[in-house]
Amino acid sequence: MIFGDKKTGLIVTGATGNQGAFHIALMNEYAKSIGGRGVVAGVTPGKAGQEVHGVPVYNSIRDAMKEHDASASVLFVPAFAAGDSIMESASAGLSLVVAITEHIPVHDTMKAISYAKMNDCAVIGPNCPGLLSPGEVKMGIMPAQLFKRGHIGVISRSGTLTYEIVDELTRAGLGQSTVIGIGGDPVIGQTFTDVLARFSEDHETKAVVIIGEVGGALEEEGAKSAEIPIVAYIAGISAPPEKRMGHAGAIIEGGEGDARSKIERLKAMGVPVASRPSEVPRLIHNLI
Amino acid sequence: MKILEYEAKRVLGESGIKIPKSVLIRSPEELGAQLPSLPENLVLKAQVDVGGRGKAGGILMADKAVAVETAKDLFSREIKHIPVKEVLVEEQLEITHEYYLSIAVDRSTKHSLLLFADAGGVEIEKVAKENPDAVRRASLPLIMHDVPQFMVRDLLGNAPKELGPVINQLYHVFQEKDALLAEINPLVTTPAGVMAADAKLIVDDNALKRQGITVNRDLTDREREAERHGFSYVELDGTIGVIGNGAGLTMSTLDLIEYYGGRAANFLDVGGGAEQERVMNAVRLVASVPSVKAIVVNLLGGITRCDEVAKGIISAGITQPVIVRLAGTNEAEGRKLLSDKGYQMPDTMEQVVKVAVEMTR
Repeated sequence: MIFGDKKTGLIVTGATGNQGAFHIALMNEYAKSIGGRGVVAGVTPGKAGQEVHGVPVYNSIRDAMKEHDASASVLFVPAFAAGDSIMESASAGLSLVVAITEHIPVHDTMKAISYAKMNDCAVIGPNCPGLLSPGEVKMGIMPAQLFKRGHIGVISRSGTLTYEIVDELTRAGLGQSTVIGIGGDPVIGQTFTDVLARFSEDHETKAVVIIGEVGGALEEEGAKSAEIPIVAYIAGISAPPEKRMGHAGAIIEGGEGDARSKIERLKAMGVPVASRPSEVPRLIHNLI
Repeated sequence: MKILEYEAKRVLGESGIKIPKSVLIRSPEELGAQLPSLPENLVLKAQVDVGGRGKAGGILMADKAVAVETAKDLFSREIKHIPVKEVLVEEQLEITHEYYLSIAVDRSTKHSLLLFADAGGVEIEKVAKENPDAVRRASLPLIMHDVPQFMVRDLLGNAPKELGPVINQLYHVFQEKDALLAEINPLVTTPAGVMAADAKLIVDDNALKRQGITVNRDLTDREREAERHGFSYVELDGTIGVIGNGAGLTMSTLDLIEYYGGRAANFLDVGGGAEQERVMNAVRLVASVPSVKAIVVNLLGGITRCDEVAKGIISAGITQPVIVRLAGTNEAEGRKLLSDKGYQMPDTMEQVVKVAVEMTR
């Protein structure tokens, strides 16, 4: 698995909001079921001293880290404050930020990612479901019941479509090492390229599914760099140009980033591309 | 969101970039009143948000004497089906050379991407293909306050130095306006100095609020309804209505419909935590599209409450068949509610799509 394990302590920012509180409970339920540490502290400025599902809340990440051993944060703060929260995480010395928040202005994301990079902090997202390594750690909002531990890595720009394909893999007996949603925004921290590099160093992972969609060229860039066998699925072959398909980043602009040409370029690199989600397990079986 | 040319130019003007002398008119009569203050040779530009505006007849040249007549002509036109409501009347420039300058968000580097080309007024993609050496690029992290001078020199190459300041001015516009793209094409040299002859500014939709921009888009009634409910909605031209949760899953459902030979009528992402009323509104909205003969509902997720979804579908009370794929909490209750009412509930999204395609064939 990559990015963390049972021993990883998590800090949730935006802990006292509806989403933050709800998912603290789910993350810790999962941690408890597998013997992991889970969420050790929450942060909401001005709410120090409160508790959320038994987790103590602090005013700042720095305050939380004085009392707890943590290496990653999971963000549920509102969009206008999310860039700030990413930078606060990086400044406090965390090595990973998982930004669940949607609708962050792109410039905020770009600045926060630059700042995080200067502090050796990796950013997953924004606008993502986080990651889940079955039996090890859940950082985010993925529904754990669909997952099973195994040797397939999954990297996706989507949320529910990831669950769909994970479900197909699990039903086909193909467990997962780490499943990671990198986010549906045009600018995201960890890209297919970055995550594939980590997977290729991970002895548990034998092959990786990359789930892409219309917009940009991150899938092709990732595939080009991959040093581990990969299979791809690209959503949006029926998407019309210049229309935003739900995700801020899912748009075919200036004739670039359409699904058909992405698929063609991937196939030209020798990457097997599934035409439907249900085809993914068979293509994986062919590889390993 | 793309800002219209005259607004984009006003923004550039405020930042110190020279723009042509101009007036904005909303009727030919308004031009009559403004004529005395304008120079002899004019260009009239329809303020419509379409690409290829010039080729589509949206830009007309006129001398002062016939300008009002020309304006009447332009206001009577539709440019790619969009009626002309505003016209920017500008002085014709004495152009000695045209260049291209843009700053954009680069997904790959996560920095701003600056592009400068020795040829302007044409599509930059075309220039890049035909004469790659004429296009120079630079990548600049957005945390940098200014464009460093070495980068300005690299971008300009042998182009006149007087163009240099515009690069920093445009970069500041890009930063201050939360732009996804700030483009001057063409950037021109004239005897009166360097000017932005055309301008394009796309502002990040997620920053409209802090930019104080109120959106006044031409939406259809259904698009407006979707926006009110907070749905991501795109209308297409098929017969199968689609409701999903999550952009990727919904897109994938559309693709499967195409794969099995059907045609989707829309993309509708209801978002997370779909409860009864939300689902009901989504089903009614999609059912209101006249061409929709069947509706596919594809909802998957740990926190989706299937009983809520089932109640939402049932309470929508529509005439078209709804084929449902449900997975999540309270799945058994949800399934029972729907099966009691005779709804079809295949197990997988693929089966759901197949049933809908058969029905609408």
